Amino acid sequence: MSKALFGSCDPTTLAANAPDVDLGEFAEVKLEQVHIYSALFEIPLHGAMRSLPVGVHPSIPALSCATFWRCPGGPLGAFELAFIGLACRTGIKPRQLVYSAFADTDAACGFFRQRYGFPCRSAKVRQREYYDRVLGSVEMLGKRILEISATGLTPLVGMGSFVKYSAALNFARVPEGVGLVQLEASYEFTRVIRGVPQAVTYDGAALGDATIVPVYPVSGAHAIVNLTLHPTRFVVDPVTPAERGGVRRIERGNAARA
Amino acid sequence: MQFGLINELSTPRPFTAEGQKAVYEHAIEQAVVAEEAGFSSCWCVEHHFLEEYSHSSCPDMFLMAVARATRTIRLGFGIATCVPAIHSPIRWAEKAAFLDVLSGGRVEFGTGRSSTWNELGGFGARIDDTKKSWDEYVRVIPRMWTEERVSFQGSFFAMPERMVLPKPMQKPHPPMWVAITAPGTEVDAAERGLGALILSITDVERNIPRFKAYRDRIRSCEPVGAFVNDQIAVVNWLFCHRDGQYARARGEELVRSFSYTAAQTVEISEAYPSSNYSALGLLGSLRADPSAPDDQKQLASGLCFGDPAQLIDVIQRWEAAGADQLIFLMQSREILPQKELLDSIRLFGREVLPRFASQRSAASGGGQ
Repeated sequence: MSKALFGSCDPTTLAANAPDVDLGEFAEVKLEQVHIYSALFEIPLHGAMRSLPVGVHPSIPALSCATFWRCPGGPLGAFELAFIGLACRTGIKPRQLVYSAFADTDAACGFFRQRYGFPCRSAKVRQREYYDRVLGSVEMLGKRILEISATGLTPLVGMGSFVKYSAALNFARVPEGVGLVQLEASYEFTRVIRGVPQAVTYDGAALGDATIVPVYPVSGAHAIVNLTLHPTRFVVDPVTPAERGGVRRIERGNAARA
Repeated sequence: MQFGLINELSTPRPFTAEGQKAVYEHAIEQAVVAEEAGFSSCWCVEHHFLEEYSHSSCPDMFLMAVARATRTIRLGFGIATCVPAIHSPIRWAEKAAFLDVLSGGRVEFGTGRSSTWNELGGFGARIDDTKKSWDEYVRVIPRMWTEERVSFQGSFFAMPERMVLPKPMQKPHPPMWVAITAPGTEVDAAERGLGALILSITDVERNIPRFKAYRDRIRSCEPVGAFVNDQIAVVNWLFCHRDGQYARARGEELVRSFSYTAAQTVEISEAYPSSNYSALGLLGSLRADPSAPDDQKQLASGLCFGDPAQLIDVIQRWEAAGADQLIFLMQSREILPQKELLDSIRLFGREVLPRFASQRSAASGGGQ
């Protein structure tokens, strides 16, 4: 075992405010022409180690990812969503553990909390695209707590015109106790641009983890996608060391428990 | 069919100087035993910042140590990273030639461009340009070896006229290769007359179209060097034991460990969307289907884990598919005791390798 690689966060602490998640089946939700802006930064590894439970291990180098969705309409109505996650691995797969999330409508807040365990709070979320930059921001109680820009935009064409999003994992209360619930989404890209991200405003404490500080820009990608949200398929046990694998497939019909 | 070994110099935590030295010394001993057993090449990767997975930041130094401990085994850069932020092409030409001279003309020069954010991000490389800069490197390095004085003006590298020294012992120069992970790179290799160092560890049959594409294209290549290296070498795993079931179980442990350490890295395609990296590199390709995080990926059918008879069968399939060489990974995080690993090499040398000896003597070896 590679003990040094596992995080030291006590999952019971985080679970105290975790949403209850309904792991039942639901009809796929299709959202068209969603604008997604995701900005990655390197963060100090020790911050990630303190904030990750033993059930996942950090990516090296440690990364945080701020993601903004701007959805013009559909089954949930028009909404904007923002979430911040820490890059990590379950087993050998890249994931991001979400530690803060915001949505600007009650419907979106409720859906993402109940179905996927996002710790959504109501806030003013804005993702906008200008000729020279992309901007994502979150305001709570009139105070801007997050603003991430991307400049130096370059279109990605051909086979490389996609973004490989790491699936979001959320602390949630599930029937068996506390689990990490995974966002299940598939993406169809219609346009992708990439730039250099900058954290203009980053209020760590207000965002839920003051120890996580973006220190080095990696990439900022803006995409227009048609996306489909699927029922949750996996729950990760946050206290089983990642190297042993604590991922459980949710039984649906004849699906076997892994 | 020829056989080689390739070293990642994977190192278990906790990291200590003594533990590090043991990893390096074990790998050198493996090369010595492999040479005695009839292996024809020893390769070494170049990686930076890849904790546990590979502590092989200076392959030229490792290969020099192997050169001084052996007599005949060829010494392969697997690969030399051709990225301006990491190395100047002058330094690669110098290092490879230096090793070639001191080893008596045994260098194989593999080239590549890295696929991780750990490395390219760590060195501040221009990620969108790595293919183009690699192309310049593979064209200018053989000139540095063969021309008395060289000047060069490219998009990523320039130098006024200088004599690059030393010149290699092999004439006209060491064979050149390119690491191939992403689909289509085999065509890049073939177009330039470079040997194909296939790094996607997978089933035999899935490689056949790739081999065919390479063979078809290299017939009309315009070589970047002074000769065409038309060899296909496939990186594989090896653990040979009298008990095939035991060998398979050990092999699964090795692959699991390798995949786990590979997972610690950040692939470019996960962190930095780029048309230059639309496919996963070797590390990413070893992970299971991302849509099924709890599924263990089945071992590929072409891996060499088994008893001697089983391995002969697998290798014959690689041979029929068109591979000229198999280059074996044998260790990960020192999970195999050194004695067991050396016994595997010796058993392979006694009972498997001789079955392919006639083909070995007939195979072409590139530069002389």
